[in-house]
Order: sequence, then structure tokens, then C-alpha cells
Amino acid sequence: MRFKIGCMNISSARNQSTQRAGSGLAFWRGWVALMAFAAFVTVSFSARAELPVPAHIKPPVGTHQGEKVPQPIEFPHNIHVKINKINCMYCHTYARRSNVAGIPPTSKCYGCHKVIATDKPRIVKLMEYWEKGESPRWKKVHDVPDFVHFSHQKHIKRFVFDADFPVEDVQQVCGLCHGELREMTVAEKKKPLNMGFCQRCHKANGGPGDCWKCHK
Amino acid sequence: MSFKNVLENFSNFRKDAEHGGHHTYEHRWGMAVDLNLCIGCNACSTACYAENNLPVVGKERFAKNQAIHWMRIERYWDPKDEMYPEQGASFLPMMCQQCGAATCEPVCPVAATYHTPDGLNAQVYNRCIGSRYCNNNCPFRVRYFNFYSYYESAWPEPLQMQLNPDLSVRDKGVMEKCTFCVQRIRAGKDKAKMEDRKVLDGDVQTACQQVCPTGAIVFGDTLLPDSKVSQLWKAHQVKRGPFTQKTPKDDADIRGYRIFDELNVDPSVMYLERVRETEV
Amino acid sequence: MSSVKLDRRQFLKMLGVGGAGTALAGCDLPTTITLEEGKEEVVSYLLPEEYVIPGVGVYFASTCTQCNAGCGIHGRVREGRVLKIEGNPDSPVNTGKTCMMGQAGVQTHFNPDRITAPMMRKSGRLQTVTWDEATAELNKHVGAQSNLNGGRFAWVTGSVSGHQSVLINELMAQLGSTNHYAHEVVNASVWSAVCQDMLGDAMPRLRIDKAGTILSLGADFLGTWISPVHFAREYAKFRSPAKRGVLVQVETKMTLTGGNADLWVPARAGTEGILALGIANFMVDRGWNKVEIPAAVRAELAEYKIEKVAELTGVAGSKIQRIASLLSERAPGLVLAGAPVESSEQGYASVSAAMLLNIIIGAVGTTIEPATRFSEKALQAKAGDTKSLLAFAKGLQEKRFDVVFISGANPVYTAPDALKLVDGFESVPFKVVFSQFPDETTQKADLVLPMYSAMEDWATHVPAYQTDGAVLSVQQPLMEPLYKDTKGFGDVVIALLKQRSKNYEQFPDYYAYLQTAMMNLPEAVTGPKPVKKEFWNGLLQKGLMVTKGDRATLSAKLSVPVFAHAAHHEGGHDDFMLVPSARMGMFDGRHANVPWIQEAPDQITKVVWDSWAELHPEAAAKLGVANGDLIRIASEHGSIETQVFIHKGIRPDVIGVPLGQGHEEYGRYAKGRGANPLKILNPVLEQKTGELAMYATKVKVSKTRKTVKLVKMGGSDTQAGRQFVLTVSADKLRRTEGEG
Repeated sequence: MRFKIGCMNISSARNQSTQRAGSGLAFWRGWVALMAFAAFVTVSFSARAELPVPAHIKPPVGTHQGEKVPQPIEFPHNIHVKINKINCMYCHTYARRSNVAGIPPTSKCYGCHKVIATDKPRIVKLMEYWEKGESPRWKKVHDVPDFVHFSHQKHIKRFVFDADFPVEDVQQVCGLCHGELREMTVAEKKKPLNMGFCQRCHKANGGPGDCWKCHK
Repeated sequence: MSFKNVLENFSNFRKDAEHGGHHTYEHRWGMAVDLNLCIGCNACSTACYAENNLPVVGKERFAKNQAIHWMRIERYWDPKDEMYPEQGASFLPMMCQQCGAATCEPVCPVAATYHTPDGLNAQVYNRCIGSRYCNNNCPFRVRYFNFYSYYESAWPEPLQMQLNPDLSVRDKGVMEKCTFCVQRIRAGKDKAKMEDRKVLDGDVQTACQQVCPTGAIVFGDTLLPDSKVSQLWKAHQVKRGPFTQKTPKDDADIRGYRIFDELNVDPSVMYLERVRETEV
Repeated sequence: MSSVKLDRRQFLKMLGVGGAGTALAGCDLPTTITLEEGKEEVVSYLLPEEYVIPGVGVYFASTCTQCNAGCGIHGRVREGRVLKIEGNPDSPVNTGKTCMMGQAGVQTHFNPDRITAPMMRKSGRLQTVTWDEATAELNKHVGAQSNLNGGRFAWVTGSVSGHQSVLINELMAQLGSTNHYAHEVVNASVWSAVCQDMLGDAMPRLRIDKAGTILSLGADFLGTWISPVHFAREYAKFRSPAKRGVLVQVETKMTLTGGNADLWVPARAGTEGILALGIANFMVDRGWNKVEIPAAVRAELAEYKIEKVAELTGVAGSKIQRIASLLSERAPGLVLAGAPVESSEQGYASVSAAMLLNIIIGAVGTTIEPATRFSEKALQAKAGDTKSLLAFAKGLQEKRFDVVFISGANPVYTAPDALKLVDGFESVPFKVVFSQFPDETTQKADLVLPMYSAMEDWATHVPAYQTDGAVLSVQQPLMEPLYKDTKGFGDVVIALLKQRSKNYEQFPDYYAYLQTAMMNLPEAVTGPKPVKKEFWNGLLQKGLMVTKGDRATLSAKLSVPVFAHAAHHEGGHDDFMLVPSARMGMFDGRHANVPWIQEAPDQITKVVWDSWAELHPEAAAKLGVANGDLIRIASEHGSIETQVFIHKGIRPDVIGVPLGQGHEEYGRYAKGRGANPLKILNPVLEQKTGELAMYATKVKVSKTRKTVKLVKMGGSDTQAGRQFVLTVSADKLRRTEGEG
């Protein structure tokens, strides 16, 4: 299993470890400590969650170096999620009602932006779409193949609503698969979303392992 | 998978139903087809085409027995030395029997077909390499092979808009067969889960059951004692599990039987004998 | 657009826009792997309704139009496209079920050969034009300024009912024409005529579920006769342990219903009525009659002694007696008469004989119940027949028409060559065809108006055969029209009506008209409807309106029909009676362009993608033909060639060629496939009603030197001792289960 290591953090780990380096056994202990620390840092930063992972979830393991996919409007998740602290499911309402989370209908954007930030260029562009009666043609970032059945609503139910204790911020759960949206404008794919990624999490968290549960 | 693994699993593979099989079943889907009610009209077959993205193969390929009809109606004449078939024809709806001890499962070289915890015989298209051994071994011949990439020709624009997004469109080189509308089972189970309740009888209907004008096809969970299909199996004295020597039934109105029962494949489909006035 | 008020039409439009990209398999060929980011598009809705959730199907109620039974349907709609049809559980016609033709409705709608733009004949060829051009041309000939002579206008339709019927009648009245020809190949018009004359009601309710014994003279009630899905529902009760009904089918070639009979009796063609009289006489003689038989009737019946009837019909005397015993012992009985009997030279007399037998066995009031008619007469069904085709053909021959409209009919395909309809049709100066597909009639049009499919259009339907209560079934669009240059039938007719009448000015389209018309129905029919929106939404949600209707009363006229008994002589080994049977699936040929229907094996022969000629093994042996041999079948008015199919479910003096194939146009799935037996029918008429006697054509069969591969569903014809379909004798059941 390979981890992508955030450069900044490993160099700080290294700085720390050089202080601890000594000779002989101490040296090896130091290396072990370094490795352990690097592993700890790596794990926490490959999840890239400043938010803690909820205790009842064994998070999925795996990352993906996604690019920024150009979208019709460069929708800033960071403004909406980090600054305005809007709940993911305010816009992506279908996540708990359907198999697909879906992109919010343009009326949802319009609902706020008919009065908010109406002079900003991206909002102007949005209004153009609305007046034309069209929705922007977003490019899908998080996709699974056509032969896979993935039910958002079941995952939300399992990890958000049926949790033993309440999840503080739903981003903690959504971010496990969708990455740290708070740092992104348009969504970037930060998790591989391949079968191994799903299957490991299923195994760790007691999800179904039957092929026909997901292969349709 | 290590060799030890294979050996361990193989001995568990064909445990019979009384010992829990090789799963603990949470559901055990079964069907009862009443041949007394089946009129052979083909509605079920057409509904299956509509629900499951079945390709139409055309005349030449049909002639080579390459047609893909997961549910087919067979028509038999009763062979008497008479001038006319005075007793009419015998119609048999035949689909994958979802055998408890399926003969198709052990022969797949890549384990693309296996038994699910629901009692279904699953076919995973992604894993299939197209050896076709499974249909070779199937006594009912209910498995169908995609000899061609039908998606290139079977749905000229805009016919492809009719395709059901709940299941795949299969590519060349892959075996397929009746799934007891697993996409509907999945949807029914998901719905029940979302509503925090158990799956009730009638929540899941297969396409063929839903359309059958006479109600000849009954589908449900045989683990639920009060489901319609369980009651039928019980009333007509057919049990799951290995074939035991047929004891004559005490009542001619007990009409249940399974096809090729003596092959010990443990089908999940029970047929009810048709009743005809033979004294006319 | 800032404050968007949406009604249902606009909503559907939104769905259409939203739906185009969302569906993975929707627009492109299905991709198998998309793990890459940014490959597929996902287009959200603009302003969806509350109940629209992507990924979750929405069900809308509508009416199936694949035949004329009027079954209610639910269409499963995902992301703006209709995927699957299920039956509407609320419809008393089909109670939640459909037949294979209903299932195939989605392929009729999404058919790749639909006409997508208007066409006009210019320099001998049909060329695409705009609706403006088409409308101008239409108005030129039938518009308010056109000086059309109404007497020289004709309109050929299929069976019509509901508000479409009202509009057609209105336009006919406006144009001053009475030449409306409602034409259907598959019809029960002779049965209706007899019921009207002998029972006082044209379409009484037939309680198959209550019968103990059904004697069906060629009525394929599970396949094509009147309302097959409804009858199949009742048949299930007929076969239940409580009833254990007995089905006796009398026909020369086995139909789907015949395949399910307890006793299949191949009586000689055209003698079914005589058989009925023989049974009636036998029963009256034994005192098994359930009504008083006047002496005169008794005397007329006495002519039909068992020996004579056995000789005429070819059915053994013992069998005739056995059938009579069944009707008496396993009461109540029900006698039906279908196409092979109705559509023969003495069809009316034969069906009358069947009805007489019904009266004698006391079926009237027990298994034959009065119908419940829909109270608004204008909306009641006008059932199509073949007499209208004959009248239309005659009109064409006499060059009586300058302008002809065709909608819901394909007379160029269905008319026998003997009527010389095609030449007459071609010489009509202006022919307008309202059509979805390039069928034979459409290809001969001067103006082609491309119509919405049944899943894109509004309509109301009042079935000719009513069941529990009088139903008005609503047809509503299940998705936005696929092609922007198609139009709804009602919309086009209203546009024409507006030209001559102010009554229609308030209606921008047929939808608006329907809403108003339905609201204007008296509350005695609809029930209280104080709030328009509630009433309308409720109607659409349910998909239909079940009203109390007007119950007819049944009388029973005991009269013995008179038959002209032709002396029966055996023909030569190559002389046959042609049986051009309709079947569940292809029907009268209208579904030949649907791939599922072509691929579905015929229920009795299991042949696919072609036509065939059924022969009994004895007849085949005498001819020296085997399966797949191409034979020529010649009547006095033409010949067809098709492949042989041998089986025992047919009389040796009869050759059965199914309806449906032999299309010369009609798209890629139907064109150039098989033979059309309708073409070679001799113009024999049913003596009383003037209907075309389709089952009265004598043909000569000759071998060609050619053989083709007969393509049918594989597998053996016999069970060969394998225990596939086990049959238990009902007698054994009775003896072991007691009363049962």
C-alpha cells in the first residue's frame, strides 16, 4: 500500500527526527520513531482531514492524484464549505434520498444567489444560465463505472444517521471519499474509488462483501 | 487464493441447505409457477426483455440458437398417436432455476458465478472470461452467451433510451442469465433498510411476476413463513434441499414438483402441475 | 424567467433538458469503464418538481394503445425517459397486468423508424417540409377558404373513442361529410351484431370467471378477441381450485386459447354454427334446457340430429354428446364465437347459433351479463370493422373522393388485392396520412403529418368492452416528445376546427380542450368536482375514471338461424381453406416494426422473424413438402409464397398463414419479411352484415423448388418422458379431493 506523503509535513518530521538522532541503538530507535511518526503523519494527512475521522468509522484507505477538472463555472467549494459552513447535504440533497448524490438543481444556486454576491463574475455567469433556462453542463469528477451500483443514501444512513453518536460535521464523512472539499474550488478526485478502495472499507466496517451487492 | 483455501472452500461448497449451505441465508428467493394458469402468452418473456436490457439478436443469429431470452416459453405436444393434439399444448416458462447446488458454479474457471447470501446464483459480468462451461453444464440450458457486442447494433438510436440504468448492458464474451431481477431485489432491500424495516412479501416483484396476466408466477422469500411463495411450497409439499425419493402424494391437488429434481441441483423454482379434463 | 411558474408540460420539458446528460446509457453508447475524471457530463435539473429525485423512478398513469382493449398502464419514468410499462392496478380492465404488446409499447415509442418531420409529395416523391408548408397545404384543401365539397371528403380511422372521437365527428360535421370509415381487421363486429339482435345489447359482459364450461367456437379470448388481458384475469379464476372450469375450443387451426383447452375440436371450417345447433338440439331433447323452448323452435332444432351434425362437421357424435353433457353438468356454461366463425360466409348465422345455445343453457343473466355503458354517448367507442374498408374501397373505385384523411389505419396493407384499393387510393387527388411510421399507406400519401407516439400525447379512451363499471381511461404523456417536429393528433384537429368555429378559439391545444371537456362532464358521471385542479390532478394520478354508467338490460330472442348447407365434397390434395389468423403479438400486422415482437416466438409454432404456412402432417405428406419448403398459395386473386410449418394442431384441409408479415414498407424490422395473407383474400362477404369474410378463401397450394431454413425457438417438440409439464387429470383431482 502506498501513501502519498505531504511534502511539508514529512520535512518537519525529518527536522524533528534529526534532533533525536544519536548513535547505535538510539540511532535505530530514532529511525523507528521517524518511521512511526511518518506513518502517523502520513495516515492522517492522506485522509487530509483537519476534521477528525468519526470514531465509529474505519476510514477507507487509498488516494488518487486528481487534477482540477475544468468546469463551466469554477464553483468554489472552499467559500461555501469552509467559510460559509454550508452542510454538504443542503445542496446535494439527493445524497440521502437516492442512489445518486447528484448535482443540485440550478434553482438551488439561484435561491441564494439572486441576492447574494450578484456582482461577482461567476454569479453573473450563473444568472446567464438561469435566464437562458439551461443548467450548466458539469463534468463528472467522482464517477464509478456503469456496471457498479453505488447507493449514496445507504452510505449516508450508515455513517451519518445511524451513527452511534452524532457526527459533528457531515464533511467528516463525505470527505472520506470525496476528499477535503474545504480546500478546493471545483471538486478534484482525491480518492481512487476503485474496487479495492471500496472493498477494504467494506471489510473494515462490516459492509456487504457479496459481488452482486454492487455489480449490476 | 491459496491452494489450502481452495481445498477448504471446496468441501464447504456444496453443503446442503439443511446445514445452512455455505452461507447463512438472510433471504432465500424462490418462485412458484402454476402451469395450470400459464397460458403461454409471452408477456413474461417480453417484460424480461424490457426490464433487463436484453438484446434482440435478429433472424440469422436466432437460427444459430444465439437468442438471448432469459425467460422463454417452451411449448410441448403430448406425444399420443392421435390425429390432433386434443389436449392442447403444454406451455412451460423456463428461466434460471437459481439452483441451491448449481452445476454451473463449480465449473467456472474464474469463479464468475457463485451463490449469494440471498440464495441466488450470481453471474458477475466483469469476472467472466467467456469459457461457456457454465451453460455446458446447465441441465436447463438457461444461460446465454453474448457472442457479439450487441450494444453496437441492437439499440439503434433512440431505442437505447429505453435501457434500464439499474443494470448493465453486457458486452461481447460474457455469459448472462435470469437474475430473479436482482436489481429490483436490491432496490427493495435498500428501500426497506432506509425505512428501518424488514423486506415484506410483495415489496419485491420480478418483472415476469408483475406482468403475468393470469398470475401464474409467484415470487418471494421462502424464508418468510407467511409469504405467498412459502405457503405454496408448503401446500404443495416441495422442500428445498437434496432430492429424496418421490413419495406419492396423498392428494392429487398437491401439484408441486421441481424439474430435473433427481439431478439433485436443488432448484429454487417450483412448478405446479396443470389440471386438465382428461376424461372428455 | 425569474419567477418561474411551472405547469406539468414545462416541468416535463425541464426533465427532458435535465435528463439528457444524466443518464449514463442515455445519450451515447454505453461506456464500460469511467474511472477518469471529467469524462462524462452530469447536467442537473433547472427547477424540478418536489417528487423528482434523480435516480428514483416516477410512475405516471396512462392508457395503452397497442390494441383497442384500453388497458390502463403505469409508465416508469427515469430522468425524463419512459423505461418500462406496467399495468395500472386501478383499471378494472386489466387490474395491473399487461400483455406482450403492451410491454412492447416502449419500443413502438422509441422506434428508430419514426417519421420526424412533415412530408409532402413533390414531383412524385415525398420530401421533408416544414409544418408551415404542411399546414398551408392542408388548409388549401380542407381549410375554411378551401371550398371543399364535404361529400367528396373521406376519413379512414381505426376504432375510435373518447374525445378524439368527438373531435373527428365535429370536423366531419364542419366539413359536411358523412364518410367516416372506422376500419379494423381484428374486430368482433359480427358477434356484436348478433348480441344486439338477440340480446338487446351489443357488447354484453362475458363472465369467464363464473363459467363452469366454456365452449369457444374459435374465439381466441386469451390472445386477440375483444379484451385479452381482462379475459386472462378471469381465466385464472376459471382455472382455480374453486371452479375447475372446462374449456372446449372448436376451431380449424389451434390458437393460443386453443392451446390451453381441455378439449380441442377441429370441426370442418364454417360448420361451427351447425355444431352449436346440434348440441342445442341434443340438450333440448334431453330436457337439459334452462329456458322454455317454444314448439316452433324445438321443431326447427330437430333438424340437427347428432348423426347429421356429425357428418357435416366432421366431429364424432360421441364428442358432440360429451360437450352437451359438459354444458349441462358443469354449469353455468358460456358459448363464445370468434373471428373464424364470425368472419365466414354464414358468420352471422353461425354466431346466432352460438347465441341460441347460450340462451338455451341459461347463460343469459349468469355468465352473460348486461354491459355498463359510459353515460356520455359521444365518448363511447366506435368500433372498427371490415365493412367500412369495403365501403371505402368502393368509394375509391367510383372516384367519389377528392380528399382523404387516414389516421390509425393502414388500408394499403390490410386491403385484399381483389378490392383494388391501392390503385383507387393512388388516384385520389389529395391524401393526408397522420402517421408515426413509414407504413404502406403513409408512403402513398400526398401529405404526411408526423404524429406523437402514444407516450407523448394526450387522449381519452372509452373501451368498447366495459367490465366493472364504465371506465374512461386517460392517456397522458410519459415524457417530452422525442422529435420537435411531430405533433399531437388532437392538436392538429383542433387547429383545423378553429378555422370554422369560434368554439375552439379558447383552446391553444388539445390538452386545454381535454381539461375543459372533462370538467364539463356532468357530476352524475364524474362525481363531485368542485375544484378543477384537484379533480384534474386526481384524474391524472389515477389514470382513469370509473363511473357507474348505464346498465343495459338483456333480453333473449330465441330464434334458430337458417344455414345454407353446401354439400361437402373433399377437395384435391392441393385444395385448402385459408386461415389468416391474427395472434397476440403481431396482431393485424401493426407491430411488425417492433423488434421484441419479431423476436418473440409465436405461441403455438415458435417461429420467429418470418411468416409461415401451417400444414397438418397428412396434408404435408400428400403435397410432399417438409418444414422450410417454400410453397405457393394461390387464391382467385393472387398468390403468396411462404415456408411450410408442419404440426398437428390444424385440420388437413386447412392451411394457416398468420397475419403480420409481408410488409413492403414500415421500417427496417418489418420490411421485406414474409408474406401477407390479407392480400390474396377472395372478396367473399358475410351474408348478413356485409363484413369481409376473411376465413372463406379457398386456395390452391403448389410446391416451388425452393427451401429456406425455418427459424424457430430451439428445443424438442415433445417432452420425451422428461417431466417438464406434468398434467394431472381433473377427474383424479375430484375423486381424491372430494367436492373440491
